Amino acid sequence: MSDADSNPDADANADADANDAAESGDRDYLRVADISKWYGDEQVLDDVSFEMDRGDVTVLIGPSGSGKSTMLRCVNRLAEAQEGEIFLDGEEVTAPDVDVDELRREVGMVFQDFNLFAHLTALDNVALGPRRVLDLSEAEADERAHAQLERVGLADQTDSYPAELSGGQKQRVGIARALAMEPKLMLFDEPTSALDPELIGEVLEVMHDLVADGMTMLVVTHEMSFARAVADEIVFLDEGRVVERGPPEQLFDNPEKERTARFLDRIASHD
Amino acid sequence: MADSTRPANVSDPGEAIPSAGRLLFVAAGVVFWGWLLATWVNRWLGGPVVPVGEPFVAPGTVESALAALPLLSAYATDLAFVTRISPEIARGIWLTVVITVVSLAVGFFIAVPLAVARVYGRLTAYVSLVYTELLRGTPLLAQLFVLHFGLNMGQYVPVALSDVFARNVVWVAILGFVLNGAAYQAEYIRGAIESVEEGQLTAGRAIGLSKVETIYYVVLPQGLRYAIPSWTNEFVYLIKYSSLAAFITVPELYYRAFEIASDTFRYPMIFAVTGLAYLCLVLTATELMARVEDLVAIPGVGGDRER
Ligand SMILES: Nc1ncnc2c1ncn2[C@@H]1O[C@H](COP(=O)(O)OP(=O)(O)OP(=O)(O)O)[C@@H](O)[C@H]1O
Ligand SMILES: [Mg+2]
Repeated sequence: MSDADSNPDADANADADANDAAESGDRDYLRVADISKWYGDEQVLDDVSFEMDRGDVTVLIGPSGSGKSTMLRCVNRLAEAQEGEIFLDGEEVTAPDVDVDELRREVGMVFQDFNLFAHLTALDNVALGPRRVLDLSEAEADERAHAQLERVGLADQTDSYPAELSGGQKQRVGIARALAMEPKLMLFDEPTSALDPELIGEVLEVMHDLVADGMTMLVVTHEMSFARAVADEIVFLDEGRVVERGPPEQLFDNPEKERTARFLDRIASHD
Repeated sequence: MADSTRPANVSDPGEAIPSAGRLLFVAAGVVFWGWLLATWVNRWLGGPVVPVGEPFVAPGTVESALAALPLLSAYATDLAFVTRISPEIARGIWLTVVITVVSLAVGFFIAVPLAVARVYGRLTAYVSLVYTELLRGTPLLAQLFVLHFGLNMGQYVPVALSDVFARNVVWVAILGFVLNGAAYQAEYIRGAIESVEEGQLTAGRAIGLSKVETIYYVVLPQGLRYAIPSWTNEFVYLIKYSSLAAFITVPELYYRAFEIASDTFRYPMIFAVTGLAYLCLVLTATELMARVEDLVAIPGVGGDRER
């Protein structure tokens, strides 16, 4: 389990805070406020705003090139927004004096093409962060890595190198690697897009488990049934703008904007 | 997709079933290195087996033994001569090996930062570029001349080091090969680092490693493995280029061969033997690096990667 178990006191407090926030109607565990970003002359994000509560799952959808990946990368500062602010758990992520390495310890990221460290075994992939970033002892880091691999159902693959794993297994190691840092927030960038159809299920299953464990997750995906099942909110991005956002039932079944409906039709006809 | 699932140690078929050629190759290696080590040890110990500078078998014995054989009698004098010069050749090889290995090893530790700076640096990328192009763009012999005749670097050799070799000029040669070899090694390593997927760096940064940490823990372990085959080239080149040290009077293999030749005027014979010695060294280096490559091989990294 992530930090929910490791520090019950802090967690109870945080939960209380989160409840307060929910009661007062503020959803600001993650708050993305008016984010704009340009690559050269090309504007890829245009005044993007959305909020998440602790334990929320938000799914970003949108056509290719609409800025979904860029939005995720702004949250852990792999990309820099030129305008707007992002807050995570009360801290301003986008402040110029933020220690980005510190920030990234608290924000796990899962990539479309896995990006597992090719020269390290599954165990070492997961243990590298705890060892070198969290400065845990070798034994503690290994123990934590074992636990996370077990959590994603790979306890028997600890000594395999990435090249020896299937795509689904690789992605589960990728998830375990992010979880081992005990993040406050998990970012998923199309975690199943590079997988053969028969391998998608095992990854989604792990993600379902995380939702059940109360992990706060910001997910870019085209898996609409997953989105419908677990998302608290769907954000539809097009050309860098939030076209429409809302709970899945509303956005999927009664989209307000025609553009949303057209996009959903296109996605549906692909399935 | 790059899902190569080759087992950690795929040896080529020639190794699995030792062919006659392979056996001959290994036997030649054993003879060559056996002779070298025996000669060196005999010298270091002050000549317990034969007097220092003398061959293990007297040239006269070789000559009379071969003269008795029908096929080899024509070469008896030649082989007796080769026997006579063999201790001197072994001495030259010693220095060639030391200069090459030390220069390569020290150069490596300069080359890695140079390559990293070139790929990931900003201002340092230019410094590295200028250094590399300058050192690769001018003749190695000219660099040695500048260090030796121009700057007389021998006078700066620290006392601790000047006891190692009979003459400080050996250190000057090593310095030259370190500086020059680092530039070449940096180019090979740079190419290898660039072939490490960008996603590896992103993933390292995403778990909170700094850029330098990611390079150290993620990029270099992969890049250096990719670099082994091309880096072996530098090893092979340096074995041969180290002969340029002869021109600043370093008594390595080529220098000694040249000295014997000008004393005896038996140029073809001596340079055939010298060439053979270089060939043995080069083949040893290639073989050694192939072993190293196998030893550090990781499935999916290096070797059979798709590029
Ligand atoms: N590093 C970069 N430099 C320049 N342009 C970039 C860079 N990264 C992304 N872009 C551009 O920004 C726009 C948004 O890209 P982004 O990857 O965020 O889209 P996306 O919604 O994730 O698309 P996809 O579904 O294809 O992954 C695209 O037009 C892309 O070409
Ligand atoms: Mg994307």
